[in-house]
Amino acid sequence: MTATPSNTTPALQIDGLKKSFGKAEIIRGVDLSIGTGERHAIIGPNGAGKSTLFNLITGRFPPTSGKVRLHGSDLAGLAPFQINRMGLSRSFQITNIFPAMTVFENVRCSLLWSHGYRYSFWNMVNRSRDLTEGAEEILEQINLTARRDLPAGVLSYAEQRALEIGITIAGGANVIMLDEPTAGMSHSETDYIVDLIRKVTENKTLIMVEHDMGVVFGLADQISVLVYGEIIATGRPEEVRANPKVQEAYLGAVLEAEH
Amino acid sequence: MTTQTVSRKTRAPLVSLSAALPWLIATLFLLVMPLVFTSNSALTIMNQMAITIVFALAYNMLLGQGGMLSFGHAVYMGMGGFMCVHVMNYVEDFSLPLPLPLLPVFGGLFGMGMALIVGSFSTRKAGTVFAMISLGVGELIAACSVIIVAFFGGEEGVSGDRTYGLPVFGVEFLHQIEVYYLTAFWLVLSALLMYLFSRTPIGRMANAVRDNPERAEFLGYSARWVRFYSFVASGFFAGIAGGLFAINYEILTEENLNLATSGSILLVTFLGGVGFFFGPIIGAIVFTLLQTVLSLQTEIWQLYLGLLFVATVMYFPGGLAGVLMMHTLPIRFGKAGLLVGPYFKTLLPALACIFGAVSLLEILFHFRHAALGDEEMTLFWVTFNSHSPLPMLIAAIATVAGFWLARRGAPELAEAWHEANTPNAPQGGAA
Amino acid sequence: MDLILVNLIDGLVTGLLLFMLSAGLTLIFSMMGVLNFAHASFYMLGAYFAYQISMVLGFWMGLLIAPVIVGVLGALVERYGLRRVHQYGHVPELIFTFGLALLIEEVVQFIWGKDQMPYSIPEVLNFTALSIAGNAIPAYKVFMIFTSVAIFIALLYVLTRTRVGMIIQAALSYPRTVEALGHNVPLVFMGVFGVGTALAGVAGVIAGPVLSTFPGMAVVLGSIVFVTIVIGGLGSLWGALVASLLIGWITTFAKAYNIRMEDILTGIGFEKPLEMSENVFRDLWTITSPQIADILPYLLMVLILVVRPYGLFGKRDA
Repeated sequence: MTATPSNTTPALQIDGLKKSFGKAEIIRGVDLSIGTGERHAIIGPNGAGKSTLFNLITGRFPPTSGKVRLHGSDLAGLAPFQINRMGLSRSFQITNIFPAMTVFENVRCSLLWSHGYRYSFWNMVNRSRDLTEGAEEILEQINLTARRDLPAGVLSYAEQRALEIGITIAGGANVIMLDEPTAGMSHSETDYIVDLIRKVTENKTLIMVEHDMGVVFGLADQISVLVYGEIIATGRPEEVRANPKVQEAYLGAVLEAEH
Repeated sequence: MTTQTVSRKTRAPLVSLSAALPWLIATLFLLVMPLVFTSNSALTIMNQMAITIVFALAYNMLLGQGGMLSFGHAVYMGMGGFMCVHVMNYVEDFSLPLPLPLLPVFGGLFGMGMALIVGSFSTRKAGTVFAMISLGVGELIAACSVIIVAFFGGEEGVSGDRTYGLPVFGVEFLHQIEVYYLTAFWLVLSALLMYLFSRTPIGRMANAVRDNPERAEFLGYSARWVRFYSFVASGFFAGIAGGLFAINYEILTEENLNLATSGSILLVTFLGGVGFFFGPIIGAIVFTLLQTVLSLQTEIWQLYLGLLFVATVMYFPGGLAGVLMMHTLPIRFGKAGLLVGPYFKTLLPALACIFGAVSLLEILFHFRHAALGDEEMTLFWVTFNSHSPLPMLIAAIATVAGFWLARRGAPELAEAWHEANTPNAPQGGAA
Repeated sequence: MDLILVNLIDGLVTGLLLFMLSAGLTLIFSMMGVLNFAHASFYMLGAYFAYQISMVLGFWMGLLIAPVIVGVLGALVERYGLRRVHQYGHVPELIFTFGLALLIEEVVQFIWGKDQMPYSIPEVLNFTALSIAGNAIPAYKVFMIFTSVAIFIALLYVLTRTRVGMIIQAALSYPRTVEALGHNVPLVFMGVFGVGTALAGVAGVIAGPVLSTFPGMAVVLGSIVFVTIVIGGLGSLWGALVASLLIGWITTFAKAYNIRMEDILTGIGFEKPLEMSENVFRDLWTITSPQIADILPYLLMVLILVVRPYGLFGKRDA
């Protein structure tokens, strides 16, 4: 897919992305274009390479070939922290927070860079009003204000996932990547998280990997189906649902179960 | 709930009283100490403690705050110290108008300089690689110190005289007590600065990188640079400790750079507890006491130290500070009283066991290594014959009995702990 | 020419000894991810135990029994010490082994005192085997070489040709899979730790008479062993061999040939300063290779860590 010559550059543009680990080719040529403000879900069977794709985009390891562009800028060779500073933030499939710090501290750390504090050793974070207010605001959004002084490690699973999302969006990134945000959650917890995601990603670009079809169809504007390292279909949820290739490869059996 | 409740008409005070109180008490304590312990040897011990505290706090910036284990940190203290002795000599030779109190700054800057150089390649990775590089660099510099005589003075080291500095209000630092107050001043200043550092953005991120470097990267921070700045800051304060050493002892040797010194600061810091700011302070005090007081009582004090260290790593990795802080939760819940009984039942026998074991070790050591014909030894104010079986028997019984009784009381203690750590019935539904 | 041969042999002895220590260490690291700071302490224990046994039963019994005792001790340390600390993470593990090294040194001093032990070469080997260019090569050195090589071959055989070796190699990389297949991985860990320390013990038994048996012997060799496996690459047995031999030869040749920095610098074109005693760089000018022989490994290690952190043959990053 060539870059569409429009007045808006896609938020994320992936061209011919390939990744091999030794002889095993995990990603076999992915082309994807995600527009600004879009809510894009990536689904696919286990082992399709969804996490690898995420890791390639966020700079965790370099691609074997192909290009990833964020708002038009090439991400080749950039480290994760550099990509993050360009406006892309991600959450992890396995909860990745700072368990020894309090919930409040977790969120505050996520604000430091975007508020311009860099590596300074001359401000006291406790006395920085903007950090405190910013953190409290985020805590309010993810509904964890009551738990703010507890060590993050003692939170319940769902609360930790909510915190994970809070940390991801706190820095003000405009491209948010969520890796299976509702993994391991009960029905009610899932609904809660979905509402949360919808609220905090308003006016941002959202890319998420998900297995829960209810979540996918409820949240996403566009869906891509990744099977064996290739995207076999992209489009609006109804289109993808009706696509026989997709039904055969993945959705078919699941559709029966869901209904 | 977060609507602006009260617009602050008055500016919040710079520091709250509760935060400043420990510092004020500590400073007062330091000021008063020499009036209580007036002997010169007491002053020497206190000075030694102060220097070790600064060094240990600096080391903990790496280990506790940053999660970086270094086996070669003595280098930064040592280099700072060597620089300071040279400065002292320049002051003497060229009559430079430099007051002695400013000397540690040079130590700090030189230590920081070394840390800048080494940190540029050693902080790329944390963990084992970092530890190995620190070991290698430490040994390298310690070995070089014997060769580079110009800076390190070879076998005898470098010595100087602190009294040639510009007098401060007429004080020439001839007397121990004057040196003590100077050291105490730098101690409070350094500790305060290090504490404040941990509250800055870089200090907070150092904690974050320690706990989860990957997550920190996705917050926009380069884990590598966070580690680097922590390392440099730690080198600075280690250098200050070196300067204080130079002022106190007026001589620096290869010993100040070697693995033994690096190892001992690791021991001190870990023993005190790496998880709390005041941990290394406790560790330094306890260690200095063991080193100065205990070493006079027994020849095998280092064996005890080794045993204590290994026991700490295995059973109390939080160190002494960790053990103390374990009690905050029960105190907060008002349930600390539950622990008193079980403590008696287990700790008293455990104490007996330790006494017995110590006696056994001392007797055995005397039995094995005392000069031929020297059969008498004194232990716990009792003089007896180390070759007769009775003392050994008594000690053995005390050890075994103490251990058995302590073992018996252990489950009760465990239960009491669990109970003391559980809050009373919650006041509303849990969140 | 002959002198080179003598130095080659000397370097070989040192290198092989180093290899026995570093082989065990790198195996243990490969398997458990922990760098055993106390490894050289087990080497020391080997020497002391062998000495004690040799007093009663002779040198050869010492050679046979002492490594076994050391290995058993090592296995116990793994089972009751390391395994417990493992749950706290890598840093506490390192600190534990460091504390262990300290403790072992103190215990040795407690039992045997601070003086050097009269642990000497057995009479049967106390003669000159060869004479090259007027330098006598003691039979004991030849014995050391043969023993080390024999052990290396045995190790290689066990690791690559036997079933136990296969299991160990698999457990090195995929411990959970191996466990799922029904093998007792904790037992394997304990075994590897035991064998690793036993190897160190053997090194102690044969090195004791030559390098002298005293409480500081672990410290002397300890850091060099770490340097060796870092240079060779953490986890690589071949790397350990290459690095050990390299260091053995570099230090031997540096000590044997008095290469002077003065000559090198004047050779390049620098002029030797007249007033040496006051010159700031006088130390640089007066450096000779024997002086820096012991530092060279550290220099090499720092260089490698900067340029190639994996070491010469390392596959995985520490």
